[in-house]
Amino acid sequence: MAMSSSMHGVRERFIEAAGRKKILAHKCAKCGHLMLETVMYCEKCSASKFEDAELEGAGTVVTYTIQAVAPQGFEDAGSYAWVVFKIDNVNLRASGFLPGVATPADLPVGAKVQVTGFDQKHGLMLAKT
Amino acid sequence: MTSKVCVLGAGSTKYGKLNESIIEIALTAAKDAIDSAGITPKEIQAGYISNVFGVADKQVHMAPVIMSNLGISHVPGLTIESACGSGSVMFREAYANVAAGFYDCVLALGVEKVTHTGTAMSTTLFSYCSDFFYEGGNGASFPGLFASMARAYMTTHKATEEDLAHVAVKNHENGVLNPKAHVRKKITVDEVMKSPVVASPLKLLDCCPFSDGASATILCSEDFAKKSGRPYMEIIGSGRGASPAAVQGREDITTIPSTVAAVRSAYKMAGITAKDIDFAEVHDCFTIAEVIDIEDLGFFPKGRAAHAVRDGATRLNGEIPINPSGGLKSKGHPIGATGVGQVVEVFDQFTGRAGERTVKDAEIALTHNFGATGASAAVHIFKKVDRK
Repeated sequence: MAMSSSMHGVRERFIEAAGRKKILAHKCAKCGHLMLETVMYCEKCSASKFEDAELEGAGTVVTYTIQAVAPQGFEDAGSYAWVVFKIDNVNLRASGFLPGVATPADLPVGAKVQVTGFDQKHGLMLAKT
Repeated sequence: MTSKVCVLGAGSTKYGKLNESIIEIALTAAKDAIDSAGITPKEIQAGYISNVFGVADKQVHMAPVIMSNLGISHVPGLTIESACGSGSVMFREAYANVAAGFYDCVLALGVEKVTHTGTAMSTTLFSYCSDFFYEGGNGASFPGLFASMARAYMTTHKATEEDLAHVAVKNHENGVLNPKAHVRKKITVDEVMKSPVVASPLKLLDCCPFSDGASATILCSEDFAKKSGRPYMEIIGSGRGASPAAVQGREDITTIPSTVAAVRSAYKMAGITAKDIDFAEVHDCFTIAEVIDIEDLGFFPKGRAAHAVRDGATRLNGEIPINPSGGLKSKGHPIGATGVGQVVEVFDQFTGRAGERTVKDAEIALTHNFGATGASAAVHIFKKVDRK
Protein backbone atom coordinates (compact mmCIF):
# COMPACT_ATOMS: atom_id res chain seq x y z
CA MET A 1 0.00 0.00 0.00
CA ALA A 2 1.30 3.46 -0.91
CA MET A 3 1.51 6.10 1.82
CA SER A 4 -0.11 9.42 0.92
CA SER A 5 -0.56 12.76 2.62
CA SER A 6 -1.23 14.96 -0.42
CA MET A 7 -4.81 15.42 -1.63
CA HIS A 8 -3.67 16.52 -5.05
CA GLY A 9 -5.47 14.49 -7.68
CA VAL A 10 -7.47 12.34 -5.27
CA ARG A 11 -10.52 12.42 -7.46
CA GLU A 12 -8.44 11.39 -10.45
CA ARG A 13 -7.00 8.47 -8.48
CA PHE A 14 -10.52 7.47 -7.32
CA ILE A 15 -11.69 7.58 -10.95
CA GLU A 16 -8.67 5.61 -12.16
CA ALA A 17 -9.32 2.89 -9.58
CA ALA A 18 -13.00 2.75 -10.57
CA GLY A 19 -11.82 2.07 -14.11
CA ARG A 20 -10.24 -1.11 -12.70
CA LYS A 21 -13.55 -1.95 -10.91
CA LYS A 22 -12.12 -0.96 -7.53
CA ILE A 23 -13.05 1.59 -4.86
CA LEU A 24 -10.10 3.57 -3.61
CA ALA A 25 -10.28 4.35 0.11
CA HIS A 26 -8.03 5.99 2.68
CA LYS A 27 -6.90 4.00 5.70
CA CYS A 28 -5.63 6.22 8.51
CA ALA A 29 -1.96 5.49 9.16
CA LYS A 30 -2.45 6.31 12.86
CA CYS A 31 -5.71 4.61 13.90
CA GLY A 32 -6.63 2.44 10.91
CA HIS A 33 -10.02 4.06 10.30
CA LEU A 34 -11.25 3.59 6.73
CA MET A 35 -12.71 6.49 4.72
CA LEU A 36 -13.40 7.25 1.10
CA GLU A 37 -10.38 8.59 -0.77
CA THR A 38 -11.56 12.21 -0.81
CA VAL A 39 -11.48 12.78 2.98
CA MET A 40 -8.37 14.82 3.93
CA TYR A 41 -8.17 14.24 7.69
CA CYS A 42 -9.14 11.14 9.61
CA GLU A 43 -12.74 11.35 10.86
CA LYS A 44 -11.73 9.60 14.09
CA CYS A 45 -8.32 11.04 15.04
CA SER A 46 -7.72 13.97 12.61
CA ALA A 47 -4.41 12.49 11.41
CA SER A 48 -3.51 13.40 7.84
CA LYS A 49 -1.34 10.46 6.80
CA PHE A 50 -3.11 7.64 5.00
CA GLU A 51 -2.43 4.40 3.23
CA ASP A 52 -4.32 3.84 0.01
CA ALA A 53 -6.69 0.92 0.41
CA GLU A 54 -7.94 -0.46 -2.86
CA LEU A 55 -11.22 -2.24 -2.16
CA GLU A 56 -13.00 -4.69 -4.39
CA GLY A 57 -15.81 -2.62 -5.94
CA ALA A 58 -18.51 -5.07 -4.93
CA GLY A 59 -21.29 -4.40 -2.48
CA THR A 60 -24.88 -4.68 -1.34
CA VAL A 61 -27.65 -2.18 -2.12
CA VAL A 62 -28.60 -0.23 1.01
CA THR A 63 -31.09 2.07 -0.70
CA TYR A 64 -31.73 3.64 -4.07
CA THR A 65 -34.15 5.63 -6.19
CA ILE A 66 -35.35 5.64 -9.78
CA GLN A 67 -36.10 9.16 -10.96
CA ALA A 68 -38.69 10.27 -13.50
CA VAL A 69 -37.07 13.69 -13.92
CA ALA A 70 -33.32 13.38 -14.46
CA PRO A 71 -30.95 16.26 -13.74
CA GLN A 72 -29.02 17.98 -16.52
CA GLY A 73 -26.54 15.61 -18.17
CA PHE A 74 -28.64 12.54 -17.45
CA GLU A 75 -31.58 13.22 -19.77
CA ASP A 76 -30.29 10.67 -22.27
CA ALA A 77 -29.36 8.05 -19.65
CA GLY A 78 -32.59 6.07 -19.96
CA SER A 79 -34.03 4.42 -16.85
CA TYR A 80 -31.42 4.21 -14.12
CA ALA A 81 -31.12 3.95 -10.37
CA TRP A 82 -28.98 6.12 -8.12
CA VAL A 83 -27.75 3.59 -5.60
CA VAL A 84 -26.17 3.69 -2.14
CA PHE A 85 -24.33 0.42 -1.50
CA LYS A 86 -22.29 -1.03 1.34
CA ILE A 87 -18.89 -2.15 0.16
CA ASP A 88 -18.28 -5.83 0.89
CA ASN A 89 -16.21 -6.72 3.98
CA VAL A 90 -15.77 -3.13 5.24
CA ASN A 91 -17.97 -0.60 7.09
CA LEU A 92 -18.04 1.88 4.22
CA ARG A 93 -20.73 2.98 1.78
CA ALA A 94 -20.50 4.50 -1.68
CA SER A 95 -23.02 5.61 -4.27
CA GLY A 96 -23.23 5.27 -8.01
CA PHE A 97 -25.17 5.12 -11.24
CA LEU A 98 -26.87 1.84 -12.18
CA PRO A 99 -28.30 1.86 -15.72
CA GLY A 100 -31.15 -0.28 -16.97
CA VAL A 101 -33.32 -0.20 -13.85
CA ALA A 102 -36.90 0.76 -14.69
CA THR A 103 -38.96 -0.27 -11.66
CA PRO A 104 -38.35 -1.14 -8.00
CA ALA A 105 -39.05 -4.76 -8.90
CA ASP A 106 -35.75 -4.70 -10.83
CA LEU A 107 -33.67 -3.89 -7.75
CA PRO A 108 -34.56 -5.21 -4.29
CA VAL A 109 -32.73 -3.69 -1.33
CA GLY A 110 -29.97 -6.19 -0.55
CA ALA A 111 -29.16 -6.90 -4.21
CA LYS A 112 -25.48 -7.26 -5.13
CA VAL A 113 -23.78 -4.65 -7.32
CA GLN A 114 -20.32 -4.28 -8.81
CA VAL A 115 -18.41 -1.18 -9.90
CA THR A 116 -17.82 -1.37 -13.66
CA GLY A 117 -16.00 1.90 -14.30
CA PHE A 118 -16.26 5.67 -14.15
CA ASP A 119 -18.02 7.59 -16.89
CA GLN A 120 -17.13 11.28 -17.24
CA LYS A 121 -20.80 12.04 -17.91
CA HIS A 122 -22.57 9.70 -15.49
CA GLY A 123 -20.09 9.12 -12.69
CA LEU A 124 -19.39 5.84 -10.85
CA MET A 125 -20.91 3.09 -13.01
CA LEU A 126 -22.49 0.01 -11.42
CA ALA A 127 -23.94 -3.26 -12.65
CA LYS A 128 -26.07 -5.87 -10.91
CA THR A 129 -24.30 -9.16 -10.24
CA MET B 1 -22.33 35.17 28.89
CA THR B 2 -24.94 36.05 26.28
CA SER B 3 -27.92 38.37 26.54
CA LYS B 4 -31.58 37.62 25.86
CA VAL B 5 -32.64 38.13 22.24
CA CYS B 6 -36.19 38.81 21.09
CA VAL B 7 -38.12 38.88 17.82
CA LEU B 8 -39.98 42.17 17.61
CA GLY B 9 -41.28 42.11 14.06
CA ALA B 10 -41.91 39.70 11.20
CA GLY B 11 -43.25 39.75 7.68
CA SER B 12 -43.44 37.68 4.51
CA THR B 13 -44.43 38.02 0.92
CA LYS B 14 -46.81 35.47 -0.45
CA TYR B 15 -44.86 32.36 -1.47
CA GLY B 16 -45.32 31.10 -5.03
CA LYS B 17 -44.45 32.17 -8.55
CA LEU B 18 -43.69 35.88 -8.22
CA ASN B 19 -43.04 38.29 -11.08
CA GLU B 20 -41.07 40.95 -9.21
CA SER B 21 -37.28 40.98 -9.09
CA ILE B 22 -35.52 39.25 -6.22
CA ILE B 23 -34.67 42.62 -4.65
CA GLU B 24 -38.26 43.85 -4.86
CA ILE B 25 -39.43 40.62 -3.24
CA ALA B 26 -36.87 41.05 -0.45
CA LEU B 27 -37.83 44.68 0.16
CA THR B 28 -41.53 43.84 0.42
CA ALA B 29 -40.81 41.39 3.26
CA ALA B 30 -38.36 43.82 4.88
CA LYS B 31 -40.97 46.59 4.97
CA ASP B 32 -43.55 44.21 6.47
CA ALA B 33 -41.13 43.24 9.23
CA ILE B 34 -40.06 46.82 9.92
CA ASP B 35 -43.69 48.00 10.09
CA SER B 36 -44.68 45.10 12.33
CA ALA B 37 -41.83 45.97 14.73
CA GLY B 38 -42.90 49.61 14.82
CA ILE B 39 -39.37 50.80 14.02
CA THR B 40 -37.77 52.76 11.21
CA PRO B 41 -34.83 51.45 9.14
CA LYS B 42 -32.45 53.85 10.89
CA GLU B 43 -32.78 51.74 14.06
CA ILE B 44 -31.37 48.70 12.21
CA GLN B 45 -27.67 48.27 12.97
CA ALA B 46 -26.89 45.27 10.73
CA GLY B 47 -28.54 43.24 8.01
CA TYR B 48 -28.32 39.43 7.71
CA ILE B 49 -29.51 38.04 4.40
CA SER B 50 -29.93 34.41 3.31
CA ASN B 51 -30.09 33.42 -0.33
CA VAL B 52 -28.88 30.57 -2.54
CA PHE B 53 -29.57 31.24 -6.21
CA GLY B 54 -29.45 35.04 -6.51
CA VAL B 55 -27.28 34.54 -9.56
CA ALA B 56 -30.35 33.15 -11.35
CA ASP B 57 -31.92 36.62 -11.08
CA LYS B 58 -28.65 38.45 -11.80
CA GLN B 59 -27.97 39.55 -8.25
CA VAL B 60 -25.39 38.35 -5.76
CA HIS B 61 -23.79 40.41 -2.97
CA MET B 62 -27.37 40.99 -1.96
CA ALA B 63 -27.03 42.45 1.54
CA PRO B 64 -25.64 45.87 0.55
CA VAL B 65 -28.19 46.15 -2.26
CA ILE B 66 -31.03 45.54 0.19
CA MET B 67 -29.55 47.89 2.80
CA SER B 68 -29.12 50.62 0.15
CA ASN B 69 -32.74 50.27 -0.95
CA LEU B 70 -33.89 50.55 2.65
CA GLY B 71 -32.14 53.93 2.77
CA ILE B 72 -29.46 52.67 5.17
CA SER B 73 -26.52 52.06 2.84
CA HIS B 74 -24.11 52.72 5.73
CA VAL B 75 -25.41 49.68 7.65
CA PRO B 76 -23.22 46.58 7.28
CA GLY B 77 -24.77 43.49 5.80
CA LEU B 78 -23.82 39.86 5.28
CA THR B 79 -25.23 37.32 2.82
CA ILE B 80 -25.25 33.68 3.93
CA GLU B 81 -25.77 30.51 1.89
CA SER B 82 -26.45 27.10 3.39
CA ALA B 83 -28.68 25.51 0.71
CA CYS B 84 -32.28 24.98 1.89
CA GLY B 85 -31.17 25.71 5.47
CA SER B 86 -29.85 29.16 4.64
CA GLY B 87 -32.64 30.98 6.47
CA SER B 88 -32.21 29.29 9.84
CA VAL B 89 -28.42 29.24 9.66
CA MET B 90 -28.46 32.97 8.89
CA PHE B 91 -31.02 33.58 11.68
CA ARG B 92 -28.65 31.86 14.09
CA GLU B 93 -25.82 34.25 13.11
CA ALA B 94 -28.12 37.26 13.55
CA TYR B 95 -29.20 35.86 16.93
CA ALA B 96 -25.60 35.26 18.01
CA ASN B 97 -24.51 38.79 17.17
CA VAL B 98 -27.33 40.36 19.17
CA ALA B 99 -26.80 37.88 22.03
CA ALA B 100 -23.09 38.79 22.08
CA GLY B 101 -23.98 42.47 22.39
CA PHE B 102 -22.57 43.63 19.07
CA TYR B 103 -25.96 45.02 18.04
CA ASP B 104 -29.28 45.97 19.67
CA CYS B 105 -31.43 45.65 16.56
CA VAL B 106 -30.86 43.75 13.29
CA LEU B 107 -32.76 42.70 10.19
CA ALA B 108 -32.71 38.96 9.37
CA LEU B 109 -34.14 38.38 5.91
CA GLY B 110 -34.28 35.40 3.56
CA VAL B 111 -35.19 35.57 -0.11
CA GLU B 112 -35.29 33.31 -3.16
CA LYS B 113 -36.42 33.61 -6.77
CA VAL B 114 -36.03 30.51 -8.91
CA THR B 115 -39.32 29.63 -10.63
CA HIS B 116 -38.50 31.71 -13.71
CA THR B 117 -35.69 29.25 -14.53
CA GLY B 118 -38.19 26.40 -15.10
CA THR B 119 -38.44 22.96 -13.50
CA ALA B 120 -35.54 21.36 -15.39
CA MET B 121 -33.06 24.13 -14.57
CA SER B 122 -34.32 24.40 -10.97
CA THR B 123 -33.83 20.63 -10.55
CA THR B 124 -30.29 20.99 -11.85
CA LEU B 125 -29.49 24.03 -9.69
CA PHE B 126 -30.76 22.24 -6.59
CA SER B 127 -28.60 19.20 -7.38
CA TYR B 128 -25.57 21.47 -6.91
CA CYS B 129 -26.51 21.62 -3.20
CA SER B 130 -25.63 17.91 -2.88
CA ASP B 131 -22.11 16.51 -2.37
CA PHE B 132 -21.86 16.69 -6.15
CA PHE B 133 -18.99 14.28 -6.80
CA TYR B 134 -20.88 11.44 -5.13
CA GLU B 135 -24.52 12.46 -5.61
CA GLY B 136 -25.47 14.97 -8.33
CA GLY B 137 -22.54 13.77 -10.42
CA ASN B 138 -23.83 10.19 -10.28
CA GLY B 139 -27.30 11.27 -11.41
CA ALA B 140 -29.10 11.98 -8.14
CA SER B 141 -31.61 14.83 -8.03
CA PHE B 142 -32.91 16.17 -4.72
CA PRO B 143 -36.18 14.24 -4.93
CA GLY B 144 -33.96 11.23 -5.67
CA LEU B 145 -31.81 11.71 -2.58
CA PHE B 146 -34.87 11.99 -0.32
CA ALA B 147 -36.46 9.07 -2.13
CA SER B 148 -33.43 6.99 -1.18
CA MET B 149 -33.96 8.04 2.43
CA ALA B 150 -37.66 7.14 2.13
CA ARG B 151 -36.84 3.67 0.82
CA ALA B 152 -34.38 3.12 3.67
CA TYR B 153 -36.96 4.30 6.24
CA MET B 154 -39.77 2.21 4.79
CA THR B 155 -37.55 -0.86 4.66
CA THR B 156 -36.33 -0.43 8.24
CA HIS B 157 -39.56 0.66 9.93
CA LYS B 158 -42.20 -1.03 7.78
CA ALA B 159 -43.81 2.29 6.89
CA THR B 160 -45.82 2.59 3.68
CA GLU B 161 -46.19 5.10 0.88
CA GLU B 162 -49.69 5.77 2.25
CA ASP B 163 -48.21 6.71 5.62
CA LEU B 164 -46.09 9.33 3.87
CA ALA B 165 -49.13 10.58 1.95
CA HIS B 166 -50.80 11.50 5.24
CA VAL B 167 -48.06 14.09 5.86
CA ALA B 168 -48.91 15.83 2.59
CA VAL B 169 -52.65 15.73 3.26
CA LYS B 170 -52.20 17.26 6.73
CA ASN B 171 -49.90 20.04 5.54
CA HIS B 172 -52.21 21.00 2.70
CA GLU B 173 -55.10 21.04 5.19
CA ASN B 174 -53.15 23.69 7.15
CA GLY B 175 -51.91 25.55 4.09
CA VAL B 176 -55.46 26.18 2.92
CA LEU B 177 -55.79 28.37 6.04
CA ASN B 178 -52.65 30.38 5.19
CA PRO B 179 -53.30 33.27 2.76
CA LYS B 180 -49.59 33.43 1.90
CA ALA B 181 -49.19 29.75 1.05
CA HIS B 182 -48.06 28.72 -2.42
CA VAL B 183 -50.39 25.74 -2.88
CA ARG B 184 -53.71 26.38 -1.13
CA LYS B 185 -55.53 23.23 -2.07
CA LYS B 186 -56.81 20.32 -0.01
CA ILE B 187 -55.65 16.94 -1.24
CA THR B 188 -56.53 13.35 -0.37
CA VAL B 189 -54.38 10.29 0.28
CA ASP B 190 -55.79 8.81 -2.91
CA GLU B 191 -54.69 11.86 -4.91
CA VAL B 192 -51.18 11.65 -3.46
CA MET B 193 -50.97 7.94 -4.27
CA LYS B 194 -52.16 8.48 -7.84
CA SER B 195 -49.92 11.48 -8.55
CA PRO B 196 -47.03 10.81 -10.95
CA VAL B 197 -43.88 9.21 -9.56
CA VAL B 198 -41.04 11.76 -9.40
CA ALA B 199 -38.41 9.55 -7.77
CA SER B 200 -39.65 6.23 -6.47
CA PRO B 201 -41.08 5.86 -3.87
CA LEU B 202 -41.87 9.61 -3.83
CA LYS B 203 -44.64 10.99 -5.99
CA LEU B 204 -45.37 14.53 -7.12
CA LEU B 205 -47.61 15.25 -4.13
CA ASP B 206 -44.91 14.03 -1.72
CA CYS B 207 -42.72 16.91 -2.92
CA CYS B 208 -42.75 20.59 -2.01
CA PRO B 209 -42.98 23.07 -4.89
CA PHE B 210 -40.22 25.32 -6.20
CA SER B 211 -41.22 28.73 -4.82
CA ASP B 212 -40.24 32.37 -4.91
CA GLY B 213 -40.66 34.49 -1.80
CA ALA B 214 -39.10 36.39 1.05
CA SER B 215 -39.50 36.46 4.82
CA ALA B 216 -38.00 38.89 7.28
CA THR B 217 -37.69 39.34 11.03
CA ILE B 218 -36.42 42.05 13.35
CA LEU B 219 -34.24 40.73 16.18
CA CYS B 220 -33.36 42.89 19.14
CA SER B 221 -32.14 42.93 22.71
CA GLU B 222 -34.65 42.43 25.51
CA ASP B 223 -34.29 46.08 26.55
CA PHE B 224 -35.04 47.24 23.02
CA ALA B 225 -38.12 44.99 22.87
CA LYS B 226 -39.43 46.10 26.25
CA LYS B 227 -39.03 49.78 25.40
CA SER B 228 -40.98 49.32 22.16
CA GLY B 229 -44.18 48.55 24.04
CA ARG B 230 -45.10 46.12 21.27
CA PRO B 231 -45.75 42.36 21.29
CA TYR B 232 -42.65 40.21 20.91
CA MET B 233 -41.27 36.73 21.55
CA GLU B 234 -38.05 35.60 23.15
CA ILE B 235 -35.55 33.20 21.58
CA ILE B 236 -34.94 30.75 24.44
CA GLY B 237 -33.03 28.09 22.49
CA SER B 238 -30.70 28.06 19.50
CA GLY B 239 -28.77 25.06 18.21
CA ARG B 240 -26.72 24.11 15.17
CA GLY B 241 -25.75 20.69 13.89
CA ALA B 242 -23.96 19.05 10.99
CA SER B 243 -24.03 15.71 9.18
CA PRO B 244 -21.84 14.03 6.57
CA ALA B 245 -22.58 15.99 3.40
CA ALA B 246 -23.36 12.86 1.36
CA VAL B 247 -26.10 10.40 2.27
CA GLN B 248 -23.62 7.53 1.76
CA GLY B 249 -21.56 8.90 4.67
CA ARG B 250 -24.26 8.16 7.25
CA GLU B 251 -24.34 4.88 9.15
CA ASP B 252 -28.12 5.20 9.50
CA ILE B 253 -29.98 6.79 6.61
CA THR B 254 -33.25 6.95 8.59
CA THR B 255 -32.05 9.77 10.85
CA ILE B 256 -30.42 13.15 10.23
CA PRO B 257 -27.51 13.69 12.65
CA SER B 258 -27.49 17.49 12.23
CA THR B 259 -31.08 17.70 13.46
CA VAL B 260 -30.35 15.52 16.48
CA ALA B 261 -27.33 17.65 17.43
CA ALA B 262 -29.08 20.97 16.84
CA VAL B 263 -32.17 20.14 18.84
CA ARG B 264 -30.17 18.65 21.71
CA SER B 265 -28.28 21.91 21.96
CA ALA B 266 -31.43 24.04 21.70
CA TYR B 267 -33.33 22.03 24.33
CA LYS B 268 -30.35 22.24 26.68
CA MET B 269 -30.09 26.00 26.26
CA ALA B 270 -33.84 26.45 26.81
CA GLY B 271 -33.88 24.03 29.75
CA ILE B 272 -36.82 22.13 28.30
CA THR B 273 -37.62 18.86 26.50
CA ALA B 274 -39.70 17.92 23.48
CA LYS B 275 -42.70 17.51 25.78
CA ASP B 276 -42.70 21.28 26.46
CA ILE B 277 -43.13 22.25 22.80
CA ASP B 278 -46.67 23.36 21.87
CA PHE B 279 -46.16 23.26 18.10
CA ALA B 280 -43.32 23.07 15.59
CA GLU B 281 -42.48 24.26 12.11
CA VAL B 282 -40.22 21.58 10.60
CA HIS B 283 -38.39 21.02 7.32
CA ASP B 284 -40.80 18.98 5.18
CA CYS B 285 -39.27 19.43 1.73
CA PHE B 286 -40.55 15.91 1.09
CA THR B 287 -43.04 13.94 3.16
CA ILE B 288 -40.31 11.55 4.35
CA ALA B 289 -38.35 14.50 5.71
CA GLU B 290 -41.15 15.45 8.12
CA VAL B 291 -41.43 11.85 9.34
CA ILE B 292 -37.69 11.68 10.06
CA ASP B 293 -37.66 15.22 11.54
CA ILE B 294 -40.35 14.65 14.15
CA GLU B 295 -38.54 11.56 15.40
CA ASP B 296 -35.15 13.29 15.45
CA LEU B 297 -36.69 16.26 17.29
CA GLY B 298 -37.92 13.91 20.02
CA PHE B 299 -41.66 14.18 19.43
CA PHE B 300 -42.04 10.49 18.60
CA PRO B 301 -39.92 7.37 19.18
CA LYS B 302 -37.85 6.08 16.25
CA GLY B 303 -40.03 4.27 13.76
CA ARG B 304 -43.31 5.58 15.17
CA ALA B 305 -43.80 8.94 13.44
CA ALA B 306 -45.38 7.63 10.26
CA HIS B 307 -48.06 5.90 12.30
CA ALA B 308 -48.55 8.97 14.54
CA VAL B 309 -49.13 11.16 11.50
CA ARG B 310 -51.67 8.68 10.17
CA ASP B 311 -53.44 8.77 13.56
CA GLY B 312 -53.75 12.58 13.44
CA ALA B 313 -51.28 13.37 16.24
CA THR B 314 -49.64 16.14 14.19
CA ARG B 315 -52.79 17.90 12.97
CA LEU B 316 -53.71 21.38 14.21
CA ASN B 317 -55.79 19.87 17.02
CA GLY B 318 -53.43 16.95 17.62
CA GLU B 319 -51.08 16.31 20.52
CA ILE B 320 -48.20 18.13 18.78
CA PRO B 321 -49.27 20.25 15.79
CA ILE B 322 -46.60 20.14 13.10
CA ASN B 323 -46.36 22.81 10.40
CA PRO B 324 -49.50 24.84 11.12
CA SER B 325 -48.36 27.17 8.32
CA GLY B 326 -48.72 24.37 5.76
CA GLY B 327 -44.98 23.72 5.84
CA LEU B 328 -42.69 23.67 2.85
CA LYS B 329 -45.10 21.22 1.25
CA SER B 330 -48.05 23.62 0.99
CA LYS B 331 -46.81 27.06 2.10
CA GLY B 332 -43.89 26.64 -0.30
CA HIS B 333 -40.11 26.47 -0.24
CA PRO B 334 -38.25 29.57 -1.45
CA ILE B 335 -35.08 28.02 -0.15
CA GLY B 336 -33.24 31.12 1.05
CA ALA B 337 -36.36 32.32 2.87
CA THR B 338 -37.79 29.09 4.30
CA GLY B 339 -36.02 29.09 7.67
CA VAL B 340 -37.01 32.71 8.30
CA GLY B 341 -40.56 32.02 7.16
CA GLN B 342 -40.86 29.43 9.92
CA VAL B 343 -39.99 32.12 12.49
CA VAL B 344 -42.56 34.43 10.90
CA GLU B 345 -45.18 31.72 11.41
CA VAL B 346 -44.31 31.42 15.10
CA PHE B 347 -44.49 35.22 15.45
CA ASP B 348 -47.88 35.26 13.71
CA GLN B 349 -49.12 32.48 16.00
CA PHE B 350 -47.93 34.29 19.15
CA THR B 351 -49.22 37.73 18.17
CA GLY B 352 -52.73 36.84 17.04
CA ARG B 353 -52.04 37.00 13.29
CA ALA B 354 -52.51 33.32 12.39
CA GLY B 355 -56.29 33.37 11.97
CA GLU B 356 -58.00 30.00 11.64
CA ARG B 357 -54.73 28.06 11.86
CA THR B 358 -53.94 29.39 15.35
CA VAL B 359 -52.69 26.70 17.71
CA LYS B 360 -54.75 27.20 20.86
CA ASP B 361 -52.93 28.33 24.01
CA ALA B 362 -49.47 27.89 22.46
CA GLU B 363 -46.63 29.51 24.40
CA ILE B 364 -43.48 27.65 23.33
CA ALA B 365 -42.71 26.73 19.71
CA LEU B 366 -39.80 25.23 17.78
CA THR B 367 -38.49 25.85 14.28
CA HIS B 368 -36.30 23.34 12.43
CA ASN B 369 -34.70 23.83 9.02
CA PHE B 370 -31.89 22.04 7.23
CA GLY B 371 -29.73 22.36 4.14
CA ALA B 372 -29.53 19.72 1.39
CA THR B 373 -30.26 16.26 2.84
CA GLY B 374 -29.52 17.57 6.32
CA ALA B 375 -25.82 18.31 5.98
CA SER B 376 -26.45 21.47 8.01
CA ALA B 377 -29.33 22.25 10.36
CA ALA B 378 -30.50 24.82 12.86
CA VAL B 379 -33.20 24.65 15.52
CA HIS B 380 -34.66 27.60 17.41
CA ILE B 381 -37.10 27.66 20.30
CA PHE B 382 -39.34 30.64 21.03
CA LYS B 383 -41.36 31.70 24.03
CA LYS B 384 -44.36 33.97 23.81
CA VAL B 385 -43.99 37.08 25.96
CA ASP B 386 -47.20 38.13 27.62
CA ARG B 387 -47.38 41.95 27.63
CA LYS B 388 -50.51 42.15 29.79
